[in-house]
Amino acid sequence: VSPAGREVTITIDGREVAAIEGEMLHDAARKGDVEIPYFCYEPKLGDPVGACRMCLVEIEGIPKLQTSCSTPVREGMVVHTRTEQVKEAQSAVVEFLLVNHPLDCPVCDKGGECPLQDISYGWGPGRSRVIDEKRHFEKPIELSPLVAIDRERCILCYRCVRFSQEVAEDSQLQLLERGDRTYVGTFDDRPYVAPFHGNITDICPVGALTSYTYRFRARPWDIEHAGSVCTLCPSQCNVSFTVRDERVKRVIARDNAEVDDGWLCDRGRYGFEMFEAPERIAEPRLKGGAASWEQAIAKAAEGLRGAGKVAALVGDASNEEGFLLQRLVREALGSPHIDSRPSRGPRRDALVRLAQPALSARVRDIDEADAILVLGTDPLHSSPILDLRVRKAIRRNGAKLVVATERPTALDGGAEAIARYAPGQAAHFVAELASAVGGAENIATPVAATLREAESVVVVWGERIAREEGAAEALLELAAAIKASDTEGSGLLEIPDTTNARGLREAGCLPDAGPGLSETSAGMATEEIRAALISGELSGLVLFGADPLRDFPDTPAWEEALTAADFVVAFSMHENATTAKADVVFPLETHAEKDGTITHPDGRLQRVRPSAARPGDIRPNILVLSELAEALDLETDTYSQPAAFTALTEAVPFFSGITDEMIGGRGLRWQDGPSAANLPEAGEGAGAPSSLAYLAGSEAPVREPLSASGAKRSEGAPAPSLALGTYRDLWAGPITELNPPLKFLQPQQRVEVSSTDAERLGLKSGDTVRVGQNGAGVEAQVQIKERVPAGVCFLAEGVADGNANALLNGGPVQVEIEKLSEARA
Amino acid sequence: MPDARETRVLLASAEDPALRTLEGYKRLVGGYATQERAYREMEQDEVLKELEDSGLRGRGGAGFSMGKKASFLPRGEMAKYLCCNADESEPGAFKDRELMQRNPHQLIEGIAIAALAADAGHAFIFIRGEYDAQADILDQAVAEAYEAGYLGTNILGCHRDLELVVHRGAGAYICGEETALLDALEGKRGNPRLKPPFPAVQGLYGGPTLINNVETLSNVPHIVRNGAEWFKGFGTEQSPGTKVVSISGGVRRPGNYEVELGIPTRELIYGLAGGPEPGHEVKAFFPGGSSSPVLRAEEGLDLPYSFEAMAEAGSMLGSGSIIVADDRVSIPHLALRTARFYHHESCGKCVPCREGTNWTVKMLERMVRGEATPMDLDIVSSVQQNIIGHCLCVLGDSMAMPVGAMVRKFREEFEEVMENPDLVLDPHAVVRGAPETLGAAT
Repeated sequence: VSPAGREVTITIDGREVAAIEGEMLHDAARKGDVEIPYFCYEPKLGDPVGACRMCLVEIEGIPKLQTSCSTPVREGMVVHTRTEQVKEAQSAVVEFLLVNHPLDCPVCDKGGECPLQDISYGWGPGRSRVIDEKRHFEKPIELSPLVAIDRERCILCYRCVRFSQEVAEDSQLQLLERGDRTYVGTFDDRPYVAPFHGNITDICPVGALTSYTYRFRARPWDIEHAGSVCTLCPSQCNVSFTVRDERVKRVIARDNAEVDDGWLCDRGRYGFEMFEAPERIAEPRLKGGAASWEQAIAKAAEGLRGAGKVAALVGDASNEEGFLLQRLVREALGSPHIDSRPSRGPRRDALVRLAQPALSARVRDIDEADAILVLGTDPLHSSPILDLRVRKAIRRNGAKLVVATERPTALDGGAEAIARYAPGQAAHFVAELASAVGGAENIATPVAATLREAESVVVVWGERIAREEGAAEALLELAAAIKASDTEGSGLLEIPDTTNARGLREAGCLPDAGPGLSETSAGMATEEIRAALISGELSGLVLFGADPLRDFPDTPAWEEALTAADFVVAFSMHENATTAKADVVFPLETHAEKDGTITHPDGRLQRVRPSAARPGDIRPNILVLSELAEALDLETDTYSQPAAFTALTEAVPFFSGITDEMIGGRGLRWQDGPSAANLPEAGEGAGAPSSLAYLAGSEAPVREPLSASGAKRSEGAPAPSLALGTYRDLWAGPITELNPPLKFLQPQQRVEVSSTDAERLGLKSGDTVRVGQNGAGVEAQVQIKERVPAGVCFLAEGVADGNANALLNGGPVQVEIEKLSEARA
Repeated sequence: MPDARETRVLLASAEDPALRTLEGYKRLVGGYATQERAYREMEQDEVLKELEDSGLRGRGGAGFSMGKKASFLPRGEMAKYLCCNADESEPGAFKDRELMQRNPHQLIEGIAIAALAADAGHAFIFIRGEYDAQADILDQAVAEAYEAGYLGTNILGCHRDLELVVHRGAGAYICGEETALLDALEGKRGNPRLKPPFPAVQGLYGGPTLINNVETLSNVPHIVRNGAEWFKGFGTEQSPGTKVVSISGGVRRPGNYEVELGIPTRELIYGLAGGPEPGHEVKAFFPGGSSSPVLRAEEGLDLPYSFEAMAEAGSMLGSGSIIVADDRVSIPHLALRTARFYHHESCGKCVPCREGTNWTVKMLERMVRGEATPMDLDIVSSVQQNIIGHCLCVLGDSMAMPVGAMVRKFREEFEEVMENPDLVLDPHAVVRGAPETLGAAT
């Protein structure tokens, strides 16, 4: 929370410094270019604790030295940071810290980038008076499979423990024992396994917490830091790559309060070894094997031209790549069929209305919101860093949280009200919620009061609910009910299924919208493309960073479609089942190699910068797309990122005038850019009532949500089969399969059932079952979860074995559970 | 029987075991009449004014005006709390134990009246875990008070509620530090909090909280009953009232003595406590528990025993606990023993205390083993200086002040022990533990 106080003037070391009343003296001093040493202070962790005593300063009128980290500034304050008294105190604290510190800097990974080392040199006494034995601990030991702890180096600054308790709220890290026997540990020495735990290595001011992935890999004088953006999920956290010899050795956070608050999840932090995995595709390939670029481009052009009708699907791509690909498809191949969504989504006019700046919330708005609605998504899995952001809002700002989802979420514990709706009932539920916020009595009423009473409301919603017909319209109604367009700080924030979904939509990768969400002749959407490939209506397919066999619903149908296609060009980072079916495979750059922009779900254009060398014979994707277009007789003149970006900003009216410099290192929301007003007008249908039909063309009846807290759950006769809900697990997919350090996190398929259904079906946690429908089925282990509503079960998408996508077919799915074997006792 | 030189207010009738019961408390000393009058007839501000006017200073160690502290609590509808600090753990201090054991209702009545002054609806007695017998006695007395309607809801029909909980600590000296006490009470690791915010503004569960020592609160019924002027009739101008003083160490009659503040210290040590065994002299004493800088006999014995006189002499009255070292006591060993206590009890949160206590112990250990040089004496002194005033709470100072004073005042003894570690005075003749003058607790 930024202090909103008035500006005051204080004097530090005889110099006048402008400050904001109430901000901590330490921060004011830093802004005034006065360096005060510190260890424990870290505003990201919350209120100061004043434990290390390193930042003691003299304040006139106060007899004792004060910790500058915890002293709010007042007008006229006179501060001294360099007097004898202060120097003695600071030198004493350094001396105390080194009483028990091993001073093994020459063999310590932190050496050279260590605050304790720097401060010892800058403020310490310079020579030791300690001749007594130091304390000893076994070292280093595994705090987790990813982090080593050296308790002898630890100066007990509290940062890691505060992170665990007050930021991640996993409370696994504790201080054990007392006094100088104190050490950081976990209950019963269990491993600290939690999705954000790598952050403790960033905030540790000594070499006590180090990542196994970086231990003894480089010294600070061997490395360079390269700022970029992580593209492993829609959070798009700002990162800094530690690069040695042009290879990524480490990923650390690059604080951006507008995006990530300075934290990273372990996916983003440890997911870099797959850049050099054996499965990495490092050269163009044809069916027969590796090929030269000239051969591959010629072959792709020839194949696509010969295939007749062609479609394209984009998954993981930059704005420039998406823009070039849609040009290639629309202009070079003359096809309107392109999509960037795994199955289906709202029509153009709904998207245009949802994109209105007045309706959209910024990430930062979560911090200040009175109420937060998490709708149809579990941020921990879909956009992990937002999980921390929501927790922070509750903890520090007293925000009230409402969770409305199919599946229990990690945030449920902090929620004021929780509603559970049945899989496939999101659109219906959102419409009900919109009218309940407006005052109507219905199934959503119990959770609506919190939203109605709040001044500002941020709705964090998952893109997958918009796969349902009518969901986008219902969301617009909800936005109107919370007065999103009239209330400062209120709005919608989408968590899309893919990292750059928003950027790709706005770059024109939609079947019914061109660049800038402009109107175009209608093409086919993902599911229609699949059907047309099977029917033969389409015969060619370009896949760019998309792996339908892993990530899209209805795997059997995709198998059929890819087999039926005459010619498939796949751009992919790694080998997978989809590339095995492709006629031409082009390698993709990772986010450490790529140059381009991506768009955060809140509209922030961010720059991904090349940080490491491209392995093998990989070429910039922008160049490859431009050359392929050229081979198809389309001259794009976009052989480099600047040219491609310029072309993009010229094509997207609301990007007009935005330059790379304006995006800079922190990004720029296009809504705050020079041309935000150029967003197309919402169509004639704006404000029109939503269609509540469950799914167009589907016969499924509209059902009531299963439960809402406060509402009585119906206890009818148990259904013979269970409704299937699916979710994308944080750790499912190549992230844990291709990164050796993360392999231990690879999820096994588990079917989550309620205790009611488990009892009815005679299941125990750990039993192996077959979850099936219509002959298709996957194997899974049973996990009984108390918070799963009766009548529903959940499976994970994207796991290596038993991928739930095999069971999905675009409509609501009922499954049978058949026990295969009992859990071992 | 009480010594005639005592002035017994808090310990009046303490020798009668019946005082422990509600019936006895009423019969022997007119108990709960003051609470009844306060609840029925007095406004919050009247009680507050009486306490402020009395000049009652906190008996837990800091000696801050109790009434003033209570007046710092903001007014308003928010939940407010009162905590009685019964975590008496300072070596040499055992007066709260006797007050709770002999007269638990006096404390409960004091809490009830103080809660009126603080407008608190919830009160807690945080008692150190080792005071098991005393906690049992309090539990019993609290149950009686609930039963009789002095606690609970709609107390005495006055539409005031007060819930009182006796909470037993788990055995850490640091939990006697008021903010660590709050954390421990909230179920967290008992570590001191950063101040400000002070507990009066943001204390237990974030609410305004008044924290007072057992003896302080035990004074409250007497002040409200007899008035501030009466109270100021005892003691000195800056240290009004009586004080229960724990005297231990090299004296023949160790124990608790309630006296008017300001009486000569010699009277306490030699008169009431009987002085050292025949043939021995007082060498030095801690005037206010083990955390107060020691005074040599010649500096301290003739001072009046008051907050101001002890402060002027460079020490402090603290919790009012005198530990006497007679001429057999080895000061370096006394310093080591003192340092070891604070090293053991340091919570470890802030650096100067955590590392300073540890380093000091290691150096003093080397000294008494004869493995140190005079340079180490200078280092010990400078380490104490480096601790004082630099810590998060007062625990670090609590070691550094007495140890620093001992090195400063008895440097020759340290030099001697370093030269001849085997030729010292009896290293065990430090402090004979707190006496069992109370008899069986139950």
